[in-house]
Amino acid sequence: MNNINRIKNGGLAIISLLIFFTSCNKLNTEPTPLVIPGNPAGNTLAKVLAATASDSLYNRLLIKSGIAASTIADSTLRFTMFVPDNNAMKVFINGASGGAIPLNAPDAAFSAFISSTSPNYIPAATAANIVSYNIIPQSVTTASFPTAFPNLQYPTILNPAPTLSALLRLTTFLSKRSNGTWVNNVPLLSADAVATNGIIHHTAAIVLPPSASLWGRINIDPDMTYFKAAILRADSGTAVAPSTVGTLQGALDNIGANLTVFAPTDSSFRSILTGQITLALIAQGVPPANAQASAAALAATSAVFSNPALYSVLTPTNVKGIAVYHLLGTRAFTVNLPASQANYPTLLNSAIPTHPGVGLQSTFTGPVVSAATVKGAANATAANILLNPTPGTGSSDQNATNGVLHKINQVLLPQ
Amino acid sequence: MKKSTRYPASLLIAAMLTLAAAAQTTTITGNIKNSGTRDAVPAVSVTVKGSSSGTFTNEKGDFRLITASPLPLTLIISSIGFETKEVPVSSASTPVQVDFVPASSLGTEVVVSASRVPQRILESPVSIERISAANIRNAPAASYYDVLANLKGVDITTSSLTFKTPSTRGFNGSGSTRVNQLVDGMDNQAPGLNFSVGGVVGLTELDVDNIELLPGASSALYGPGGMNGTILISSKNPFKYQGLSFQIKEGIMNTDSRFRSLSPYHNWSVRWAEKVSDKFAFKIGMEMVAAKDWLGYDKRNYSRTGTNGKIIVGDRETDPNYDGINTYGDETTIDIRSNVFPGIAGAAPFLKGFLDTLNGGRPMNVSRTGYKESDVVNQNTLNYKLSGALHYKLSPKTEAILAGHWGTGNTVYTGSERYSLKNLKIGQYKFEINNPNWLLRAYTTQEDAGESYNATVTTRLLNEAWKPSGGSNGWFAQYSQAYVGARLTGASDFNAQTIARATADDIVNKSTTGRPDPGTTRFNTYLNQVRGVPISKGGGLFLDKTNLYMVEGQANLSPVTKNVADIIVGANYKRYLLNSEGTLFADSTGKIGINEFGAYIQATRALFNDVVKLQLSGRYDKNQNFKGRFTPRATMVIKVAENNNLRFSYQSAYRFPSTQQQWINLNIGSNTRLIGGNKNFIDYYKLKTTPSYELSITTPTTVNTTAYTFPDSKPESVTTYEIGYKGLLGKNLLIDVYGYYGEYKDFLYRTLVIQPTGGNLNALVAGLASGVPASNFGNIFSVPANTTSKVKTYGFGLSIDYRLPLGFIISGNLSSDDLKDSGGFRAAFSTPKYRTNISFANNGFGTGKRLGFNLTYRWQDGFYYDGDFGNGDVPAVQTLDAQVSYKIPKSKCAVKVGGNNILNQYYINAIGNSMVGGLYYVAFSYNVF
Repeated sequence: MNNINRIKNGGLAIISLLIFFTSCNKLNTEPTPLVIPGNPAGNTLAKVLAATASDSLYNRLLIKSGIAASTIADSTLRFTMFVPDNNAMKVFINGASGGAIPLNAPDAAFSAFISSTSPNYIPAATAANIVSYNIIPQSVTTASFPTAFPNLQYPTILNPAPTLSALLRLTTFLSKRSNGTWVNNVPLLSADAVATNGIIHHTAAIVLPPSASLWGRINIDPDMTYFKAAILRADSGTAVAPSTVGTLQGALDNIGANLTVFAPTDSSFRSILTGQITLALIAQGVPPANAQASAAALAATSAVFSNPALYSVLTPTNVKGIAVYHLLGTRAFTVNLPASQANYPTLLNSAIPTHPGVGLQSTFTGPVVSAATVKGAANATAANILLNPTPGTGSSDQNATNGVLHKINQVLLPQ
Repeated sequence: MKKSTRYPASLLIAAMLTLAAAAQTTTITGNIKNSGTRDAVPAVSVTVKGSSSGTFTNEKGDFRLITASPLPLTLIISSIGFETKEVPVSSASTPVQVDFVPASSLGTEVVVSASRVPQRILESPVSIERISAANIRNAPAASYYDVLANLKGVDITTSSLTFKTPSTRGFNGSGSTRVNQLVDGMDNQAPGLNFSVGGVVGLTELDVDNIELLPGASSALYGPGGMNGTILISSKNPFKYQGLSFQIKEGIMNTDSRFRSLSPYHNWSVRWAEKVSDKFAFKIGMEMVAAKDWLGYDKRNYSRTGTNGKIIVGDRETDPNYDGINTYGDETTIDIRSNVFPGIAGAAPFLKGFLDTLNGGRPMNVSRTGYKESDVVNQNTLNYKLSGALHYKLSPKTEAILAGHWGTGNTVYTGSERYSLKNLKIGQYKFEINNPNWLLRAYTTQEDAGESYNATVTTRLLNEAWKPSGGSNGWFAQYSQAYVGARLTGASDFNAQTIARATADDIVNKSTTGRPDPGTTRFNTYLNQVRGVPISKGGGLFLDKTNLYMVEGQANLSPVTKNVADIIVGANYKRYLLNSEGTLFADSTGKIGINEFGAYIQATRALFNDVVKLQLSGRYDKNQNFKGRFTPRATMVIKVAENNNLRFSYQSAYRFPSTQQQWINLNIGSNTRLIGGNKNFIDYYKLKTTPSYELSITTPTTVNTTAYTFPDSKPESVTTYEIGYKGLLGKNLLIDVYGYYGEYKDFLYRTLVIQPTGGNLNALVAGLASGVPASNFGNIFSVPANTTSKVKTYGFGLSIDYRLPLGFIISGNLSSDDLKDSGGFRAAFSTPKYRTNISFANNGFGTGKRLGFNLTYRWQDGFYYDGDFGNGDVPAVQTLDAQVSYKIPKSKCAVKVGGNNILNQYYINAIGNSMVGGLYYVAFSYNVF
C-alpha cells in the first residue's frame, strides 16, 4: 500500500513537474499593430445624395460629371461636400439657361436641362469641374471651421492644370462667425450631414469654381483701367509676361498666390489724381484755375501713369507703394471681415512692417453683408466696398483662382 | 631550412630532449587504476614524499618518475576526486600498481584565484565558484561557457551562439566591461572593442582545466575592471594532461523552424599534448564551431529618443514611423511636417493651409523602410580556435611557458548597435616563467576586427546608397509628395501613408530601380558596397587593430616573512595601442597609446591556531589619463568547525573608463556622435566655446538651459561588504551561502548634449516643446559622464549539493540581486531579481559505472532590461538541459547525447539579442579527461 502511495505521489510530482516545465517562456517577438479605423461600406456620400429627394438636381449634375465612382462612392476615401439643394440648383439653372427655364418650371425641366446632351447645355467636363470644386478631400465638420481671420485654404479635388503640377488644386475657404457659416461667401443652409465616407453641407447657392486669375479680371475690367495702369507702372511701366516672378502683375496672375484685392474704380482714381496733380501744379506756380483744368486733362485717362511728364511724381516706387496697399496677403470675402473695424496688414507691410495696414469692417443683416468698408490710414473716411457678389460680373467677393477682388470707391492712402 | 636557423634549432631540441643529468638517480614506473571501475586514471600527481620530484600519469595511467631520492621512498598519489594515497616503494625494478579509491566527500577542490595561492575551496575568504574539467565533461551544455550559467549568482547575456557574456551581481549586458576574464593570466578583453572574446578566441573546450569565478568586486587582486566579477580560466598543463584527445559534437538547432529552418551544429575539438621529457612538454589544440546562428528577430516597435527608448505598439503596416528592434535602416526618421511640407507649401502655397491642418498640426514622423536582421547580418557562425604552448622546466619547480591562442570567425555582438563580427581575428601570445614563489609574465593581445560592420549603420547607409533620404527628389520628398497627393484625392491618413511608402520605395520597380528585395544581386551589391567602406568614410565597416601589451610579475615573500605573515607582492604595466584608422576612435592621425601601471600587496596571517585567518590586500593603479586609484580588500575566515567556515570580506573594485569611453569618435546617425571623455574632444568640437546643453532622457525631451560643464570623467568604483558560510555537513551535504551589500560610486554612463545651430537655444527649447526632435536643432554628442549619486545593490545566494547513494548528486541554488537605490539615475541594472538552478546528476553508475546523466533546470525572473541597444521587459526564462553519456573504458571513448533548452522554448536575455532555442547534439569523445 505504501509503495502504491509512493508511486502515486511520485507520479503526481512528475506530472506537476511536466506541467511546470511545459509552461512556456513568454517570448514576444511580434509587434502589435495599431488600430486603424475601418471603412464601413454603408451609406456613402454618393448613396446619401441619391436617396435625398431635395438633392435630386445636384445628383443629376453628379451623374453628368461621371466622377462619383472614383471619389464619393469609394468607401475608403474621405470627403466633405458642399451641395446646393434643389432650390439653389434651380437658381443656377435659371441663370445658366439665360432664363429659358423659369424658376417655377417643373423639376423635370431642370433635370432635363442638366442631363441633356443634345443640346449639351452643361458638358460633362463642366459638371465635373463644378462637382470637383464642391468636394474637399477630408472630413471637415463645421466644428472645425476657422472662426477667425485670416482664412485657411481648403484645397478641393479640382486640379485646374494637371499638366502644371499633380498637386495643384483650386481652393475653398470655410469660415464660421456668429452670423453664419460659409464656404467662400456662400452661406450654409444646413451642415454636418454624415455619410460613412464624409460630410455633406448644404449651401444656399451653388459654389462655382473660379476660372480667371485676379489679373485676368483686372486686365479686362473697363472700370479698373487706372488700377491696371498703376500696377504696370509699379512694375516699371512695362507689361511683363504673365506670372513673372517678382512683379505685381506676376503675383496677381500666379495660380499659387492667395490675395485680396481692393480695386478702386476709375472715377476714384481720377478724382484723387486730379486733386494731387492740381496741388502739385499750384505749388509750381500755376494759377489754381488753370491748374485744375490741366490736372483734370492729365488725369482724364489711365494714360496718366505712362505720361513721361509725370514720371518724376508717379515713380514706380510711389505707385507701387499705393498699389500694394490695396492687396492683402490672404483671401478675405466680405463675410470674413470683422463686425467692428479692425486693422489688418497689407502687402505694404512686407516693406514697412510697422505700418498699421487697413481698417476693415462688414455690417451684417442676418447672414448677409449689407455694408462693408475699408479704410486707408491717411483717408479721411472709409471707402465702401461696392456690394454685388454676382460671380464673374459683380463688384464684390469676386472669387478668382488666386484671390478675391472687391471694388471700392476710394483710393486707399497709406500715409 | 636555412643553415643559419638549423644550428640553434637543433641545439634547442637537444636541450629539450636531454634528461636531467644526475649522478645517482632512481627511475620508478607504475600504473594507477580506479579501484572501482579498473579504468586507468590519467593526470594523477605522483610525487616523492619529502622531495620536489614529481610527475603525472599519462592517458594510460602510466607514470615514470626519475628521482634522486634513495630507496626506499614513499610516493604520494593525489588527484581531485580521489582519496590521496601514500605508497611505499622499496624496489625500482617492479612497476608500482596503485588502486586509487574515488573520494566520496564534497568540497575537496582547491582554488587559486581567491587569494592568488592554492587553498581549499572550503577555506576561501570570499565567495568563489569553481568548474572543473569533470564538470564540463558531464555538463549538458554544448559549450563550456554555458556551464557558467548554472553557477549561483551568474547571468549570461547571449548576443549570439558564440557570443555570451557572464556577469554577476547586476548590470548585465552584452560584452560587459565590468567583468574581467583572464585566460591563463591573460586579460581576454578585445582591447579596442571592449568585450571579452572567450567564446570566440579563448581556450578550446578540451584544454580547459578549470574555471574559477569570483562574483562581485575583485579589483584588489586582479586589477581594474572586475566590478561585477572576475572569471579565471586555466588550461591543462601538458606535463599533466597528455596524449591525443578529440571530441566530435554534431547537433541540430532551429528544430521547429520558427525563426529559420532546421540547421546542423558542428563542434569539433582536438588536443594533443606530449611530455617529451621531464623538462619539456607541449600541446596544441584546435576547435571548430560551425552553425546557423540564433537570430535577432524582435520585430516589436521601438521608440527612441537619443539613447533612451521604449517598446511601443505599431508595426510596419500601421505605424509610419515604425522602428523594429531587430530591423535596421528604419532608424532613419524625420518629421515630414516640419521638414518636407514647408518645401511643398513653398512650391504650392495654396496647399499651405491644408498641410498645416494635417495630423492636427502635430509632428508626422516617418521612418524609412528597414530590413530584417537576417537580411543584413551574416548569420553563419563560424569559429576556429587554435592554441598551443611549449612548457620547459628550468628546474623541477620552475616552468617557462610560451603560449599562443588565436581565433577567428563570425559572430554577432550587441553594443549600442548590433554588430556583425565578420572574420574577426584575435591572437594572444604569452611568455611566462612561474615558480611556486614567483611569476613573470608578458603577453600581448592582437586584435583585428576583420570585415566587421555595424548592422544598423550599414543598413541605413544601404538605404541611402539606393535612394538618398534628403534632397528635393529624395526618399522623404517622394514620400511626402505621394502622401499629400493621396490625401488630396480623399485618402485617409493610413491609406495615404501606405501609398506614400509604396511610391517612395518604388515597389513596382523593385527588380530594376526600386527598393531592392533582400538577397537579390542588387541588394547584395549595395550591402557589400556599404559594409566594405570604413565608417569614417561613410560606410559601415569598422577597422580596429587595437593591441594590448602587458608585463606583470608577482613574488611570494612568505618563505622569508612567514613568521609575521604570508606576503605576496606584484606589479604590472599595461599599454593599449588604439588603432582604428579613424573609424572607431579619434585616431585618424595616428595610433593612440594609453598606459596603465599597477602594483599590489597582500598579507595573510593565521591566528588562534589557524581558527582565524586574516588577509589584507591593497592595490594601486594609475592610468595616464586618470588619477591613481587605491583599492583595499580585507577578509577574515573563521573556522567554526572542521570543514565549516564563516567568511567576512570588505572588497572594492573600480574600472577606468574603457578605451571606447576615452577615445571613441563615432557618428551614429540622427545628427548624433558618440565621443570619448578625453579632454581633446571638447576643444576639437568647441563644445565649451560654443556652449552645449544637456538633453533630458525623459519623454518629451527637454533641455537644461545652463551650459554643460563637461566635468572630468573618473573611474567608477564599487565597495562591497559580504558575509558568507561554506560548510560540509557530514560527508554528503555541502552548503554555501552569502549575502552582500554593494555601493557604486561615480557610475559611468552616457549623456546627450546638444550644440544648438547658431547658438540658438530658444529655437531648441521651443522646438522640443512642440515635439520636434532635438536633432533638428543642432549637433548632438553622446558624452561619458559620472553620476554624482550612489547606486546601492544587495543580494544573496544559497547553494546546496547533496550526495545520494550510488553517486547520485542533487544540487540546487538560489540567488538574488536587487537595486536598492538607483540614486535617481538610470542605472541599467538589467538583472533578474531571482534565479535558480536545480540539477540532478550521476557521473558513473550501472555496470562498470559507465552510464552518466545530468539534468539541469534553470529559471530566472523577468526583469527590465536597460541597455544601449534597447530597453524593455525581458520575460522570465526557464531552460531545461540534459545529457546522458556512456563510457567505453577500454577504448577510452565516450558517447554523450545531450541538449540545451531541450523544451525548445525560445528566450532572450536582453532586448535586441538573439532568440535562443533548443540545441541537441551527440558527442563522441576519445580520451577526454
